[in-house]
Amino acid sequence: MLVFTRKRNEAIVIGNGIEVRVLRVGKDGVRLGIVAPPDIAVHRREIYDAVCAANQSAAATDAAGASELAARLRLRLPDTPVAPATTGA
Amino acid sequence: MSTSTATALPVAPGPAASEVIPGHVVAVRDGLPGFEHCRRFVIIASSDLEPLVQLQGLDGSRPSFLALDPRQVRPDYDTRLTLADRMRLEAGDTDVLLWLALVRLEGGRLLVNLRAPVVINPRRMLGLQVVAADSPYDTAYALPVD
Repeated sequence: MLVFTRKRNEAIVIGNGIEVRVLRVGKDGVRLGIVAPPDIAVHRREIYDAVCAANQSAAATDAAGASELAARLRLRLPDTPVAPATTGA
Repeated sequence: MSTSTATALPVAPGPAASEVIPGHVVAVRDGLPGFEHCRRFVIIASSDLEPLVQLQGLDGSRPSFLALDPRQVRPDYDTRLTLADRMRLEAGDTDVLLWLALVRLEGGRLLVNLRAPVVINPRRMLGLQVVAADSPYDTAYALPVD
């Protein structure tokens, strides 16, 4: 692992066009600002890990019983038509 | 029935579909977290699966997911996207997008990941699992089934 010492307002650059800047250093944490191209996703580690775990579990859920599950869901979910979603602003 | 979402996109004809029609393949450039090597998916819909659809991966371990529109669970679900996510989906202001929250069974409970929905732009056949920096939703929203 590369380790840097950075002060407030100092930054590091990763590859082409990714910048990580220290905005604030506090008692309970460090506030970072990240500039990255729009095709690069940036996530908090713990959230990414939670989504990974949920995906793994979802892929392990047996689709064989899906019809029965769907039938149970149809009884419980409100039968409201879902309006189309545009991208929003 | 209760949703028109599955018809917003050309879907494979049924759960047994093994033939992939190229125009029906959704490209997910970075894969899904935990399944980064699977970049192509098809959506399998059938009346006995409603309100669920099956999101079937075509690469690597060919992961398969059950999913439903998050607005089936939460009618007030917020479907706004960041500009960066819209760019990744090549979505314009008027594009109608398909929203799929992945469903899983854990310990007898049916859980829905409302935190990170898979969003698909049918016009471009591009998909993305949206992991917003801040979100009011949970990765493990429990659905009533009993």
